[in-house]
Amino acid sequence: METSCKSLLKGIMEVKLKVKRFDPEKPKDNIWYQDYNIDIHPSSTILDALINIREEVDGTLGLRCACRASICGSCGMKVNGQAKLVCKTRVEEIAPKGEILLIEPMGNHTVIRDLIVDLDTFFAKIEQITPYLQPDSEPETGEFIVSNESMDKLLTEMNCIMCGLCVSECTVLEVDKTFIGPAALAKASRFVYDPRDDQTDQRLNYLNDEQGGIWDCTRCLQCVEVCPKGVSPMDRIMDLRESAIEIGAKKTHGYHHTNSFEKSVTANGRLDETRLAIESAGIFNISRLIDLIPVGLKALIRGKLPPLFPHKAEDNKKIQELAKKIKEDK
Amino acid sequence: MKFAFYPGCVARGGTPELLSSSLAVLEKLEIEVEELTKAGCTGAGVLQEKNPLLGDTINVRTLAMAEEKSLPIMTLCSTCQGVLSQANHKVKKDKDYLKKINELLKEEGYEYKGTTDVKHLLWILVEDYGLDKLKDHFIKKLSGLSFAPFYGCYMVRPSEALGFDEKPERQMYLEKIIESVGATAIEFPGKFSCCGFPVLFINQTNSLKMVSNHTGSAKDLGADAMVTPCPLCHLNLDGYQGKARKNNRGDKADLPIIHMPQMIALAMGIETKEIGLGRHIVSTEEVVNKI
Amino acid sequence: MYDHDLLIVGAGLAGLRCAVEAQRMGLKVAVITKVHPVRSHSNAAQGGINAPLTDRGDDWKGHALDTIKGSDYLADQDAVEIMSQEAGDAVLELERMGVIFSRGEDGKLGTRRFGGQKVARTFFVGAITGSALLHVLYEQSLKLGLQVYEEWFVTSLINEDGVVKGVVALDLKTGELEAISAKAVVIAAGGAGRVFEPSTNALICTGDGLSLAWNNGAGLMDMEMIQYHPTTLARTGILMSEAARGEGAYLFNSEGDRFMEKYAPDYMELASRDVVSRAEQTEINEGRGIDGNVLLDLRHLGKDFIESRLGYLQEVSVEFLGIDMSEKPVPIRPGMHYIMGGIKTDVNGETGVPGLYAAGECANVSVHGANRLGANSLLDTVVFGRRSASKASEYVKTVKDSKILTNEHVEKDLNRIKKILNNKGKLRTSEIRNTMATAMTEGIGVFRDQKSMEYAKKIVEESKIKYRDSLVVENKGKVYNTDLLFALELGYMIDCAESIVHGALTRKESRGAHFRTDIKDRNDKEWLKHTLIYRDRSGEIKIETPDVTITQWKPVARVY
Repeated sequence: METSCKSLLKGIMEVKLKVKRFDPEKPKDNIWYQDYNIDIHPSSTILDALINIREEVDGTLGLRCACRASICGSCGMKVNGQAKLVCKTRVEEIAPKGEILLIEPMGNHTVIRDLIVDLDTFFAKIEQITPYLQPDSEPETGEFIVSNESMDKLLTEMNCIMCGLCVSECTVLEVDKTFIGPAALAKASRFVYDPRDDQTDQRLNYLNDEQGGIWDCTRCLQCVEVCPKGVSPMDRIMDLRESAIEIGAKKTHGYHHTNSFEKSVTANGRLDETRLAIESAGIFNISRLIDLIPVGLKALIRGKLPPLFPHKAEDNKKIQELAKKIKEDK
Repeated sequence: MKFAFYPGCVARGGTPELLSSSLAVLEKLEIEVEELTKAGCTGAGVLQEKNPLLGDTINVRTLAMAEEKSLPIMTLCSTCQGVLSQANHKVKKDKDYLKKINELLKEEGYEYKGTTDVKHLLWILVEDYGLDKLKDHFIKKLSGLSFAPFYGCYMVRPSEALGFDEKPERQMYLEKIIESVGATAIEFPGKFSCCGFPVLFINQTNSLKMVSNHTGSAKDLGADAMVTPCPLCHLNLDGYQGKARKNNRGDKADLPIIHMPQMIALAMGIETKEIGLGRHIVSTEEVVNKI
Repeated sequence: MYDHDLLIVGAGLAGLRCAVEAQRMGLKVAVITKVHPVRSHSNAAQGGINAPLTDRGDDWKGHALDTIKGSDYLADQDAVEIMSQEAGDAVLELERMGVIFSRGEDGKLGTRRFGGQKVARTFFVGAITGSALLHVLYEQSLKLGLQVYEEWFVTSLINEDGVVKGVVALDLKTGELEAISAKAVVIAAGGAGRVFEPSTNALICTGDGLSLAWNNGAGLMDMEMIQYHPTTLARTGILMSEAARGEGAYLFNSEGDRFMEKYAPDYMELASRDVVSRAEQTEINEGRGIDGNVLLDLRHLGKDFIESRLGYLQEVSVEFLGIDMSEKPVPIRPGMHYIMGGIKTDVNGETGVPGLYAAGECANVSVHGANRLGANSLLDTVVFGRRSASKASEYVKTVKDSKILTNEHVEKDLNRIKKILNNKGKLRTSEIRNTMATAMTEGIGVFRDQKSMEYAKKIVEESKIKYRDSLVVENKGKVYNTDLLFALELGYMIDCAESIVHGALTRKESRGAHFRTDIKDRNDKEWLKHTLIYRDRSGEIKIETPDVTITQWKPVARVY
């Protein structure tokens, strides 16, 4: 029987923070970095440190926080350039040797003051994907009958606490504000895969078609890396892509791209880049094809154009057989 | 030192200069490589969108091939590194899934037991070969040059599949190797960002904005060139820089994009023809002349 | 013209359930909340929601009796009867709205056991039931197009001739004060955990609603009933759901004994929370604890089970203490968690003050009496949230348009705020609050006596004076001034603390969570009563002791 536990109140740790401040009421010089040096318990979280500053050093420091237990989603902010939920990020983890912690507000959001950002656009994107159950009819009494497995599977998406970290780091949102975004798309998948919802195809078609929909994700993995709840928004987007293809949603460039990739890898074991470029554009899409010519020519001149007869993996028939077997098993 | 060699599709296709410069460097360092000629494309994450099982199966097959030879795999591409590592991580965590895949591979005679290590040439140079030993081969100093590091998403995410828990310093290797050749590694905020290649054929506007942002800001910070360990990033940052910069910043493509092994080769004084710097769309003349 | 028919203060489960109901009934509704709805503290509830489903072999009377016994017979039995009877419909309706409840083999809702009940009738979503319910209600509010004053802080109720006609509130983003008029106001602003230190409650649980109601003629009932949850994580105080024990976890002391055998041989770890907390505290006080904790052991449940049914708990344990629950036991201790006490209401949310209703944790119907059963709070919020909407909508039809002196009301609060901002004191909000909250936990703890309670009272009085005279607020700005916000919240907390100490000193017996080491026995003869505290405009405290409503269950000795 484990009867000893680390004595939890021993020790003091010095923490150095550099916080990006913003005061909209100052007429000029309203953005600055402020240094704070404090002493706290060694197992403290970054939020503990910020609250300490707010309570004992500088009452003007503005930040949102509530539960301190990683369930309310309020305390998202950038720590050393990466978005984190500071109530569950221990100082020791990020600054084991007492390095300075750079604290900034979340990215891709307008800053209201200090570390407090405007989440109106965040929640507007959530609203965009019709975030409520849409059954064709409800049982009069009692519940919908569904399997535990199907409800358990949705736990991943349901774990989302709408903290905004994924949106903060999304590389697509950085360049394109019309992208629906990882949080809203993950939320959308929660309804697409809920057996009680009867708008599955409509939802998938919308997400497939929409400018800024599922095919705009660059698969950069930022949202997967920063999500504090294991929602893995990118993987949810990939699920949606697979499902959109399955229901025969409109063939977008994204679909052609993925399809072409699968075809060339299955046939040759290797990627045929030229074919990929052409088929992604769409073989009948003259304007897109013409678009490819300048780069293609440059590549040809430099000797970079992939060979006309694509290189194959040795014994690529084996890969063809694997693909066939997997298709049959489905 | 011997490795199972997995150059990836693009090293043979759109960026042959990556393959030639890598092989030249490996020869000089006497690192032996045996190519896995039967291995298939990793799928780059794209295949996995439509057919995740096929993607994982092809990758586990590659891992099994190397395991048979008791060799770790060397990759030349951030994307290959990432996707192979993810597949490796997945089957190590989920034994039932591994079993399912091994069932599919049985016919060909492969069975993956989960012991293969996958390492990018960048990691191999720092961890296995050692930067001090590497420096002994440098005959040209690239001091005075500033390079912006650009890792490529799949080399730095997801951290749990890439071994960052045990080796967090892997997130600094590119800067370290830039410094080892005597150049300055610029504090480049976009170093872990996305180059936009995955959506090049899908949403070109966004893809080009990313290229413009990264090459433009690197240039503004004083970079002479950008160094990247990923040929897919290279294709986008180099091939489309002209259009990207014109559309978004109204300026020209003026930042050469150099493959990481090319930089090593330059420092080693290897023949420029082998390095293939002439193949780049954005001219590398200026930066080469500075050496 | 009134801005709204119904204005609901608080967007947690009770507030949103009330709003959704009122919206469905065609009322012009709005919710006003100081945080975004999904940040409400309802999301911290973990274990589940109780409901006796009579068509599946359960009996509502069984749940009612468990609740009443759990309350140590202080609950008003007519209210409990209603809650138990309406529970089934309330929970099934939540499922139809889209909650991803766990299922049994037959695809119908699945259950787990919970404290104080032998029958498994707790419906759940992993260990995130509160969050799952809150998010679905938020979705429904979006579906219905509910108007939300998001991040607006209520500074006072508009009260004219004893009738509540709206609120004055501070828009946190701009710092502007505005009057919002409504024919009726429902207070659903949650509990007041921050009056204690430590507490499982979020930083936002500052008893705003309790104070607002109290200062406008409503009574605060049984405020001495403070629930200390038995399993809060060592050092951090984070809640570790009762669900762990419901799914079979054991409690051990430093000698390796499953000590609940001594205190509750029948229910063991699933005795009512006050019994378990007292047991743990006794073990700790008598030297059988480990650094002030005892151990919660889940190892025998297995890793897969823990991760699927209690995933959030594992996450917390690993992230905050570095302990994998499938490999090591977790150190826990009792922690302040919930206030059974609150704004006195009837079974329809009526407070007795015209135009003012209350529901949720801030209200006291009373269904929880002297101790709340786990998984009954979520039930309380949805049942009485809905009922108050129903009742308020009837009232609203009778209200005629009238002119409200909005400028005066806003002016009053503006002056109050100016005074706070200009005060040249030396004490920060946090200093005053920390001193008071620590004293409250010491004085009104798991165990208390006359001396400790009087000590707490003394500190509260001192805090009142410090607040009035010595408070300093550093930030004088308008945009999102959290410094000012905390100062205003402190005022509310002090009111709550005051009502708590008065209630505690009034009740001269031990019952449920109010355990006096100087008067250890329950005294039904003299104390089968509630404590009810009023405060008039001049600040005079008036205490009444109304009888508990007994219907079919005669109070007997409470043994687990």
